[in-house]
Amino acid sequence: MTAMWFERSRSGNAHAPLAALTLEELLAAAARGDEQAFAELYDQTSPRVYGMVLRVARDPAQAAEVTQDIYLEVWRQSARFDAGKGGVLPWLLMIAHRRAVDRVRSAQSSMARDDRYALLHEERPYDSVSEQVQISLEAQRVRKVLDDLTPAQREAVTLAYFGGYTHTEVAQLLKVPLGTVKTRIRDGLIRMRDALGVMA
Amino acid sequence: MTDELNVLAGAYALDALDDGEREVFEQHLRTCAECAQEVRGLREAAAELSQLSQVSPPPRLRSAVLGAVTHSRPLPPLADPVHGEAGEHGEHGEHGTVRPLRRARSQSLWQGLAAACALIAVAVSVWGYSEHRQAQRAASARSSVVQSLLDAPDVRATTTAMKQGEGTLIYSRKERRLVLIGRGMPPLPGNQTYQLWLMTETGAPISGGVFRPDQAGNVEVPASGNLDGVDQMGVSVEPAGGSAQPTPSTVQVLKL
Repeated sequence: MTAMWFERSRSGNAHAPLAALTLEELLAAAARGDEQAFAELYDQTSPRVYGMVLRVARDPAQAAEVTQDIYLEVWRQSARFDAGKGGVLPWLLMIAHRRAVDRVRSAQSSMARDDRYALLHEERPYDSVSEQVQISLEAQRVRKVLDDLTPAQREAVTLAYFGGYTHTEVAQLLKVPLGTVKTRIRDGLIRMRDALGVMA
Repeated sequence: MTDELNVLAGAYALDALDDGEREVFEQHLRTCAECAQEVRGLREAAAELSQLSQVSPPPRLRSAVLGAVTHSRPLPPLADPVHGEAGEHGEHGEHGTVRPLRRARSQSLWQGLAAACALIAVAVSVWGYSEHRQAQRAASARSSVVQSLLDAPDVRATTTAMKQGEGTLIYSRKERRLVLIGRGMPPLPGNQTYQLWLMTETGAPISGGVFRPDQAGNVEVPASGNLDGVDQMGVSVEPAGGSAQPTPSTVQVLKL
């Protein structure tokens, strides 16, 4: 019962222009110390990374500092990327988001709770999403998928992702039980995953 | 899967757990392949949110980043799960279902590999494959697939505990061949089948064929193809005849 699967060619040859390489190939080259490949990786991914960090940190100077730390970590960890657990971009954004929320949580830990909540209530994290956006077809698609969530799911997901709040904080902000927030976040993400057709 | 913990997968994917909860959940992920799989999909969905906040960084950030990396060296890869001392547990251990005992055993196997002639006998007992072989003496010709694979210079093997039973993957990237040896896999009703998948990084999973274990739950599934950059295989339960895509809730991940 020998089975064949399709042979997939990987264009990892040294003559290919860097821009034609996949992120995975660029990262693999970076892992071998190829700084040019890493620069290309930076060029292809930094608007996603920096923009997200800026949205979470809200301060350009902090966002730049955190983004620099993120790419240094990506460079250091490049040989340890495990393609079996997902793509390069989700991996990179996972590192980035973790760093961004760590930064805002430690920066805000000294701020009084009430101030934080007041700050957030003035802001409308989801609506503000539409500003500054570079309108691309893909962004429009994600926007549509987010629009299709229930308002409660959308609010919980965006407060956690762009607001950098823990689910306990989200529950307090929305004045709903923690269990409800857990479910909204998970159900919202599952709907997004299914609608976006990301591989799971 | 514990429902109470499973529901945290979404918050985990959004970094919305506090440190203590995160630790508990990551502990859970090491033993729950289903949750690990779900987290992966939810993380990818979460990553898409950053499409909505794209902003070009200031040019000086680029020079700062590239300046910083010239003063630093990428860390070496993590040790190979079969040969290595330090496994890839900890933060990289989401799928760390390769059991330490098996790893220790497989190391001794690889030391024995040099003695090529006596090899198959050693391998058969080390891999606990002998019972299967005795039960299937008539079909022993099939294990020649395993034998020839064991002769590959870059042969590797890992064993993963599944929900029931376990799966050993023996493979050679150079020779683009792989054999799944399943043991103690539960029988399926006639209208269902197991299916093997190559889990690719970018695209949809690619079928490695359907298979059914024998009455004792043993099976040997050879497959071939390009394994470059592939780090895991999947086994799913599908309607008889197999599916074009795996049924997510049934997928069990076997790391290479």
